[in-house]
Amino acid sequence: MFRRRLTALVCSVAAVGLLATGCGDSDSGTSTAEKGTGKVTFWSFVKGSDEVAKAFNRTHPGIEVTFEAVPSGQEYYSKLTNAVKAGTAPDAAVVEYPQLPEFATQGKLEPLSDSLGPLVKDHFPTSVRQLVELGGQTWGVPRDAAPLMLYYRNDFFESHGISVPSTWDAYRNMTAQVKKADPKARGGVLYTDNPGLLTALAWQAGSQWFGTEKDSWKVSLDDAPSRKVADYWGDLARKDLVTSVSSLDPFWTSVQQNRTVAYVCASWCAGAQQATVADQKGKWSVAPVPTWDGKPASAMYGGSSFVIPKGAKNSAAAQEFIKWITTDPAGMKAWVSSGTSSMFPADPKLLPVTKAAFPTDYFGGQDVYALGSKSYAAVRPGWTWGPVMGTTNTAIVDQLPKVAQGKVKLFDVLTGSQQATVKDMKRRGMNVAP
Amino acid sequence: MTKTMTRVAPAGFDPAPERTDRTRPGRRGPGNRPSVLLSRAGVTAMLGLAALYTLLPMLWLVLSSTKSRQDLFATNGFAPGKDFALGDNLSYLFEVDDGIFLRWLLNTVLYAGVGSLLATVFSVAAGYTFDKLNFPGKEKLFSFVLLGVMVPGTAMAIPLYLIAAEAGLVNTFWGVFIPGLVFPFGVYLARVFSASYIPDEVLEAARVDGAGEFRTFCRIALPMIAPGFVTIFLFQFTQIWNSFFLPLVMLSDKDLFPVNLGLYVWYSSALSQGHPQDYLLAIVGSLVSVVPLVVLFLMLQRFWKSGMTAGAVK
Repeated sequence: MFRRRLTALVCSVAAVGLLATGCGDSDSGTSTAEKGTGKVTFWSFVKGSDEVAKAFNRTHPGIEVTFEAVPSGQEYYSKLTNAVKAGTAPDAAVVEYPQLPEFATQGKLEPLSDSLGPLVKDHFPTSVRQLVELGGQTWGVPRDAAPLMLYYRNDFFESHGISVPSTWDAYRNMTAQVKKADPKARGGVLYTDNPGLLTALAWQAGSQWFGTEKDSWKVSLDDAPSRKVADYWGDLARKDLVTSVSSLDPFWTSVQQNRTVAYVCASWCAGAQQATVADQKGKWSVAPVPTWDGKPASAMYGGSSFVIPKGAKNSAAAQEFIKWITTDPAGMKAWVSSGTSSMFPADPKLLPVTKAAFPTDYFGGQDVYALGSKSYAAVRPGWTWGPVMGTTNTAIVDQLPKVAQGKVKLFDVLTGSQQATVKDMKRRGMNVAP
Repeated sequence: MTKTMTRVAPAGFDPAPERTDRTRPGRRGPGNRPSVLLSRAGVTAMLGLAALYTLLPMLWLVLSSTKSRQDLFATNGFAPGKDFALGDNLSYLFEVDDGIFLRWLLNTVLYAGVGSLLATVFSVAAGYTFDKLNFPGKEKLFSFVLLGVMVPGTAMAIPLYLIAAEAGLVNTFWGVFIPGLVFPFGVYLARVFSASYIPDEVLEAARVDGAGEFRTFCRIALPMIAPGFVTIFLFQFTQIWNSFFLPLVMLSDKDLFPVNLGLYVWYSSALSQGHPQDYLLAIVGSLVSVVPLVVLFLMLQRFWKSGMTAGAVK
């Protein structure tokens, strides 16, 4: 039975193309949906989740949301998978964009087209909507987007006369200048434990690792833009122009110790940077992420959406809750109430809410959100995450540390992951176009 | 860390003992001279490496726990920080979230302490029964126990979770506590211990004096097998204390978390979401949660040692 459902799903993926035209059975959705009441359990690892649940409970007397903290990462996803299997799933849960297709194709999520589908169509731009829609169905509601930006030390750049790069060619020169100016300093990082940034850079270059074609998946981690990006970053790492470190404490240590003076990251890094390296206040600035041809182009590194797992006991109330925390200004305000998050709302209308909550003095009064807005608008549409991202990512991460040592080429890492991905998809009974 | 280790390693290698060995070639014939790895220096070096491997992370943990948030990133992991912030860190650890950390510690003590105590009682009783009493299907039953030894605990987590879901035990104290009561390896060990510690003659005498089976077990057998009891207890205690995957899938209510799961929740999203204080919490919390284990092992070391060598000499 599982097989059949899976095949049906994978087949219906073909409808994705039709969906892009924007047609659909939208208008009746929200009006007919009954107002939910009762208890809602809510799983999340996103900071601020407890405040959001509290704020919601205060303003919605009929619904009682119980927030349960879960760890982030692969552990969480196996917990959620098993909870759905055992029938003990929460009513609302966070799922990051890369993991969403995996849950959707395995039938672990409640389809939302008839309930929250119209909301998603109304509120979110195409590029992010495509991340929560698959096979003609809506599977989640976006909360935050994570458009790329360039972070750099303005004091270092100024004192050594280095200009902020706007193209990747200029970026390479910048990394060389940085190394020349201070042999200990580097102008970028290649994370060894997290393929997310690399993926975002491929996405920005115009690659499409996953796509759907007729009734099958298309996997192309080895397409031309990916090759360009992999060769570029592999070369920077091998020549020691960028640091190869884990994205956790080694990275922040390198920032704190002035060894990383520029890096590409998503919007949320602004908050992390400000909180983690508080004493470098005023020394950091943000700039648009460099592009290949000088024209604005961006992608997303991170971001999360909210879903209703299959078997949720109180879907109606969970819908109310998810709607509020993703598209209501009061809900968005609750997320950023701590004042430390530079979360970028996926719903552009809510931008003023998060912008008002984020202090700008760390970045010398710079309008980080205006920059984020431009980057968000430039996110290349058409990107889809794959149905076995766990496998895809593991295959990349396993090899990443060897890139800087020159033992493997970054592009070969991608082709290796391509093979592992296709193999796993076939094993799970999915059609993969050659 | 690995880098530091390899750099430190040659220092631990002490060539002196090897020289002493070479000056006395007469002790062993040149033909059966042991390989370099087995020479005293080789063994010392390997033990030194192993000691470093065990102690360096501990050193890092201790040093990092004393640092302020800024020092944590600004200074070398194996050097002390500029400020000594251990006191501040500790008080923050026990204050945060209405003292949830203490709650996690208590939970862990209940899961691991009470759980392993009961598990040990059951294991010893079962092992004793397998060793001393005769009943039909004994060896067949025992092979089931051995089967249980072969299956790793992590592999059992998902089936246990599915069963607990049926029984309505998911996200309750019992969901983690009850699985901790089952310890097949303990039964196996207890059988071995029972065979070597409790002579059949003593039981015979007790029976002749009119003691019932249960009384014999409680009054005669249990005291005799005490070192084995402690060994099994420590085994199971560490196992539950370190068990991660089962609580991870089983528990969602923060108030029920064991300490390692709580620390992981702090750690896993701390840095990516700009909450470095949670990262520091996870570090200090790890240090604190190691302490009870160290204390327990030091206290029970005497029993542990005699348990390990039980039956070595007959």
